[in-house]
Amino acid sequence: MRSRAAGWGLLLAVGLALPWLIYPVLAVDILAWGLFAAAFDILLGCTGLLSFGHAAFFGTGAYAAAVVALRLGVAFPWDAVAGAVAAALLALPLMALSIRRTGISFAMITLAFAQMVFYVANAWRSLTGGENGITGVPRGEVLGWSLSPAVAYYYAAFPLVALGLLLCWRIVRSPFGRVLLAIRENEVRTQSLGYPVSRYKLIATVLSCALSGLAGGVWVLNHGFVALDAVHWTTSGTVVVMVLLGGMATRLGPLVGAALVMLLRDFLSRWTDAWGIATGTIFIAVILVFRQGIVGTLEGLVAGRGGPAAAPAAPPVEEAASGLR
Amino acid sequence: MARGTTAESRTGITRRRFLTAAGAGVAGAALAPLASPWPRVSRAQGAVRLTHGKLVIGIINDQSGVYADLAGLKAVEAVKMAVEDFQKKYGQNAVGGPIEVISADHQNKPDLGSAKAQEFYDRDGASMIVGVDTSSVGLAVANVAAQKRKIHINVGAATSALTNDNCNKYTFHYAYDTVMLANGTATEVTRKIGKNWYIVYPNYAFGQDMNRSFTRAIQKAGGKVLLADATPFPNDDFSTYLIKARGMRPLLNIVGTMHAGQDLVNFVKQYNEFGLRKQGLNLAIGLLFLSDIHSLGVQAYQGTLYTTAWEWSMDRQAREWADRFLARTKVRPTFVMAGDYSATWQYLEAVRRAGTDDSEKVVAALEGYRFSDFFIRNGGIRKQDHLVVHDAYLARVKAPNEVKEPWDYVEIVSKIPAREAFLPLSQSTCKMGA
Repeated sequence: MRSRAAGWGLLLAVGLALPWLIYPVLAVDILAWGLFAAAFDILLGCTGLLSFGHAAFFGTGAYAAAVVALRLGVAFPWDAVAGAVAAALLALPLMALSIRRTGISFAMITLAFAQMVFYVANAWRSLTGGENGITGVPRGEVLGWSLSPAVAYYYAAFPLVALGLLLCWRIVRSPFGRVLLAIRENEVRTQSLGYPVSRYKLIATVLSCALSGLAGGVWVLNHGFVALDAVHWTTSGTVVVMVLLGGMATRLGPLVGAALVMLLRDFLSRWTDAWGIATGTIFIAVILVFRQGIVGTLEGLVAGRGGPAAAPAAPPVEEAASGLR
Repeated sequence: MARGTTAESRTGITRRRFLTAAGAGVAGAALAPLASPWPRVSRAQGAVRLTHGKLVIGIINDQSGVYADLAGLKAVEAVKMAVEDFQKKYGQNAVGGPIEVISADHQNKPDLGSAKAQEFYDRDGASMIVGVDTSSVGLAVANVAAQKRKIHINVGAATSALTNDNCNKYTFHYAYDTVMLANGTATEVTRKIGKNWYIVYPNYAFGQDMNRSFTRAIQKAGGKVLLADATPFPNDDFSTYLIKARGMRPLLNIVGTMHAGQDLVNFVKQYNEFGLRKQGLNLAIGLLFLSDIHSLGVQAYQGTLYTTAWEWSMDRQAREWADRFLARTKVRPTFVMAGDYSATWQYLEAVRRAGTDDSEKVVAALEGYRFSDFFIRNGGIRKQDHLVVHDAYLARVKAPNEVKEPWDYVEIVSKIPAREAFLPLSQSTCKMGA
């Protein structure tokens, strides 16, 4: 128990010290992407659903937060929260249709919906600015503190993201989360045990999308700018990479994956524009050598020494992928 | 992203610096009667105080996408060349410390450009960002400049929004804009070649703005726009639009493309493949760079009338610089590359005039400044909207038999004087906040 408290303390300390260790704008990016990856992992790691269209919800959150902050003058954190609400509202109909299928069909349907969102964002110029994007999104102030300095914004975003992450972790470890794990392991049996599987799946997807929207909101206020890239499919791809790299269905995996990808991109892009090659190579190596991602493998090592793992183990990547039939 | 310190000097008050300062002082004294009041002259020479001990200039442009050829890494080279030449002229201590040039590729993505600009200003201590082709990215960077209160001199983007609705105190627009292009090309082509236009434009800030500016100028010259179509950006298949143009034939006589860079090259290639010229459909090009002509050869564009800010072969001064550029980079410069050099130079001059790299003071030194160099002729920086006005040129692409040497593709038809080339101040919608 004591080591557990120490672990939380360490995590909090790293979180609070981060903007002094690295460029604060990058630090907020790590927070936002970490939350996005954690929200995404509710589906991938815990429910066994690979959504390939999560950019739609991240982007919707970003656009919504930008629009309410810019046009309606909504202040932080309510603009970011509006992003979460918008993403949830969009997720409700889209995901209700998508979850009728599983595996590769689910991935393709979500991708198709995300592409539709992309084209709507491109065509709806009066709202999204199309290719030009929305510029000059204000961060405003909280309790009289201006959020314009990047460090100030980091500390404002930190509690919000922490809350989002706690919610993700809580969902996974609640009785509700156990049912999701059961669905991942064997959907038919779960249903035969009397659980309304599709309702569980819908709630899980909408929660995941809402938290992705929140991450989008935090992200857009960081940059003051959003354009089509936020809803592009490469954004969906990036979050998949982050989660697999860090480790599915682990508490810290998505955070570690997000931090690693963002730091690598930042570090390498100062030397070369081909940073994607390095990130890709590391990704392949991790998938080949540590099938359960970085955190998953470490947890496995610790568990191998010190007794059974507390957290439900994630299936190895290839198994998860082959499970997507 | 490449980074390198172009030149450094960390000497105290050395003999050389003293001599340079003294020499400059003599030159300054000689020029004093020409320049306005006294403190400026004495301060300008030698004693520049930098906030962080060094001056960092950032250049952000497309280095890998459709606009990589018209500026890209060659433009980075132009900026470095400007810094080196400046230090050759005024000595290593020209601005009171080393000058560093950093560069980044924005890949035509506004969010990437915006993030890079933020990084350059905040993290690398850049006091000025130059370049930034692609209008959507240019607008994003201008916005960052306003937030950070750091200077941005845009050379590559065409959108006139930079000095109208989206103008700000820290952004300057150099070389050209859509209004200038339309004033020259649309007017001239409508009068001389044909009155009925079909406009095809890329669907982002630049294309939208080009479409507006051209439509206005065409109507003013007595022509008519029958139809305007937006295409995706970037795009490589234009057959839909070309077939449409063929269908509008008896009435239509001008197909006006507002594309640039690789998109334009693809458009022209397909226009020629469809044989539209022989069918009586003339091509008008909104924005043409030397690099576009180079990649397809003059026969593809032969006879095309267009407006340009500068051409390397237009006179001796321009050619001299272009020769040095050729020796360094193995290509002849487009007007964006030359513009990046010129803008960097003028910025450095302004830092010397201001005696500091502090944005407010440098902005004041730039505003209202009148100058000419190898690139800008009869130039002036308008205080009210930060548009750099100067002479523009109506040009024509040569026929293959007129070409006398490599890169000799263009003939200047006439000069459009500075005061007619750009949007009159009375029509500017710029409201510059303090």
